[in-house]
Amino acid sequence: MAALSLKERLAANDEAFKKTGHLFGLERLALKESNPGDYEAVWHILSNLCNAAWATGCKVSSSPIAAEGGDALWGLHTPTGEAICISRGISAHAGLLSDMVKNFISIGYEEYPGFKPGDIFENNDPHYGGIHSPDFDMCMPLFYDGKLIAWATCVSHVADAGSVTPGSIGFLNPDCYSDGIAISMERVGENDRFYPWYELRIRSRSRTPDFVMGDARGRLAGCITLRERLEAMIEKYGLDFFEQAGHEYVEDSRRYAVGRVKTQTVPGRIRKSQFKDLAMKGKRVLMAKQDIDCAFNLPMELTVNADASVSLSLQGASGTVPFGENISPTALKSGLMMGYSHIVGFDMFNSGPISAWDIEMPPDGSWANPYPLDYQAASGVAWAPAVTWVSSLYEVFGRLFQMRGFVEEMAAGSATIMTAEFSGINQTGMYLTGLTLEQASNGSPAKGYSDGENSAWCIYTPEADFGNAEITELYYPILFLGRNIEPNSGGYGQFRGGLGHTAVWMVYNTPGLEYQCGDAGMRSKIVGNHGMYGAYPVVPDRPAYAHDTNVKELIDAQKPLVHGRGDPESPEVATIIKAKDLQTDAVAPFVTPQPLTDYDIIVHPIGGAQAMGDPINRDPKSVASDLDEGWTTERVAADIHGVVTKKPNRHYEIDEAATEKKRKKIRDQRKKRALPFKEWWTAERKRILAQENMDESVRRMWISSMELSPKYAEELRAFWKLPEDFVFSL
Amino acid sequence: MADFHKADIEKLIDGVLPWPATQDMLKSPKDTNRFDKYVEIMQDRVDFDDPILLPLTPHLFIVASKKEGRIVKCKCGHSFGDYRINWKLSALINVRDDEKSMSEIYRGREMPDPAWIQLREYICGGCGAQLEVEAVPRGCPPDFDFLPDLDTFYGQWLGRPLPDKVAFEDKTLEHVKEWSE
Repeated sequence: MAALSLKERLAANDEAFKKTGHLFGLERLALKESNPGDYEAVWHILSNLCNAAWATGCKVSSSPIAAEGGDALWGLHTPTGEAICISRGISAHAGLLSDMVKNFISIGYEEYPGFKPGDIFENNDPHYGGIHSPDFDMCMPLFYDGKLIAWATCVSHVADAGSVTPGSIGFLNPDCYSDGIAISMERVGENDRFYPWYELRIRSRSRTPDFVMGDARGRLAGCITLRERLEAMIEKYGLDFFEQAGHEYVEDSRRYAVGRVKTQTVPGRIRKSQFKDLAMKGKRVLMAKQDIDCAFNLPMELTVNADASVSLSLQGASGTVPFGENISPTALKSGLMMGYSHIVGFDMFNSGPISAWDIEMPPDGSWANPYPLDYQAASGVAWAPAVTWVSSLYEVFGRLFQMRGFVEEMAAGSATIMTAEFSGINQTGMYLTGLTLEQASNGSPAKGYSDGENSAWCIYTPEADFGNAEITELYYPILFLGRNIEPNSGGYGQFRGGLGHTAVWMVYNTPGLEYQCGDAGMRSKIVGNHGMYGAYPVVPDRPAYAHDTNVKELIDAQKPLVHGRGDPESPEVATIIKAKDLQTDAVAPFVTPQPLTDYDIIVHPIGGAQAMGDPINRDPKSVASDLDEGWTTERVAADIHGVVTKKPNRHYEIDEAATEKKRKKIRDQRKKRALPFKEWWTAERKRILAQENMDESVRRMWISSMELSPKYAEELRAFWKLPEDFVFSL
Repeated sequence: MADFHKADIEKLIDGVLPWPATQDMLKSPKDTNRFDKYVEIMQDRVDFDDPILLPLTPHLFIVASKKEGRIVKCKCGHSFGDYRINWKLSALINVRDDEKSMSEIYRGREMPDPAWIQLREYICGGCGAQLEVEAVPRGCPPDFDFLPDLDTFYGQWLGRPLPDKVAFEDKTLEHVKEWSE
């Protein structure tokens, strides 16, 4: 009998899963049962060879994003594309790489142009499953004795993919034609070499071609490293072992995730709303249609079913936006797979856990499924709404683990993500554009038993690393004046989120530098997340900058400079610096209206994460300790945590009796001030009908949510008892 | 299989379990009877005698009340009614939807825009605990955070069916329907 084609094997895999409920029809993990030692050993060998690919690939890469920040990923896949094992690095892409391989197979590339050893394929086009143009996804078929036995894959985030504005966070892109270089499911090389046209295209279409080509070589070097080490592993353990084990690891991981859901959560339905802002009205934009403020509705409904499978719905998601914040369902699923692997299926990170999901296709024309109604939608920074939505997954599972008593597994939601990108001539006379990695080091979510860690976590990568300040200063014409933990940036709760930090940069040694304060999941008009279990949410992201300043005079006179954000009502940048253009409370995202010049100042905040629990249940000792560290303020300690302190010497002391009294007073005041829900509902209903104090962006968001998801609209109307034909208006 | 002491789980809940012991809990295979231990701990900490069926949040519990059936109760014993109706509808609510009220929490550049978002604080009418805080634009119905499928949970997952059976359905809208505008 002739061997099945890969396309036929894909169909056979689907059929086997449907029939047996087990991936590849594996009702038994025979190898694991019969040879558990080698099974475990080979898993670690595969894990190591992926990490070796990461280490080699990042070293070969040129841009600081991969070389300094390690913002890349390598994976090993089955012949039909399922990820068996992945490296450290930006794990949000594992699902996407898997889907890319499947896509090459489904489209028919096996037949034409065919797969052969040394072929290099790439995609970065969101229309075919890419996330955004700067993330170049690569795959290479791996052969052994003439047989295709696996795929090596990689993604790396390049400094500039030639979108309409410099850099890699194309939040301003008005449509997909402005997203930059498109590599649309292409074979870009043979015999381990890129075609000549590939480099020519990069040279003419990217502002930083040396970096981009260097990163391409890094991807290739990593894939070749992976291939060579895999061949060595197969020499030792045999091809049959690898092929069988490869399938078993994926099925094993599925079983692990399903097992965790069944033994550590509770069946039922969880709903978590989530919102995001993108206020661009009156700012520097590219097209007239972009002079608009947008709000996103990012709802999550997750059902844990009786068989411990998980169903997910995005009913109510709002419509596309005329900016780069739209994402393909494939890329969204990949982000979700990463979140799920962090929270639930982290024993062996591969495609297994995702197969136990039933993900309803997001509404056509929504930010999460743009193309059916808006084929031109831009995806310059597609992950901005996606990571915000995935934040809810952490809270949702945090709640599920709590109900079952696994307090040690609980987490609140993630921090916001606001990026900083520069473009201009640096101190060596070289044109540079690219992303700093400040945002890759948020505070971590509050846990069920403690505060989150400060500046040590990032939702889209376990490689939370903001890189060395000195290296950043080598690339960009900036000097760090501060990189300090920001007080009160992790919400207010019994356990607070890990705190974020503030980077303060002074522009130096450049004829002009553009600062792009980008949206990669930031929130500036609204707070970050809800407040879990009664905590208060995280403050909005509000950067500051000063152009045409007196900083040189301050330095010459050896006077104090700006090192942080300072008091929210009296920011340092306003009290210390004089400038012709001084923005102390800028609403993100934006691009500075003019290039910044020497001695200009940027104050760039990085968010902390969600808190949990009633703030007046916070241990007064933790409040006093935060005061000692400078991580909170006396106002917050007293008014929000109800902790009465005094400071007789260098340390804060708690007045326990006064604290108890104050907390009782806060509880009494809450009851006195609050209304019975129904009473509020009656008044609020009237305000909704009158559209009172609802920003135009909010009304536009509701209009699209209700239009795209009629069932969601029906429920919203029913809850407020609105007329059956009620729609919001502009 | 690990079998962690109740006393250590209590310390974990209170945030005072030393880090090495917490790490041990994180890394070890989970104890299969954790749910029962957790419920026992919480039962000792609440001000009511109704048996807890499910700890919904650290403060709220679905209990089996002899008089009212399966209802949501606060730690202090305050009742929020049928667990299939979003308990928030039976809570007190304080809404911050203008700068004055928001400034009690957020100052200066920390202030969100009240035309974009309102803060809804759900307060227990019994003890004044702040049970949840939602940050949503006007028009958003309150999140029904969790509607458990209790009979599947007890019957199929724990293997000890509850004595009575209740349909797994959201009754929130049915409840609102009865309200006059």
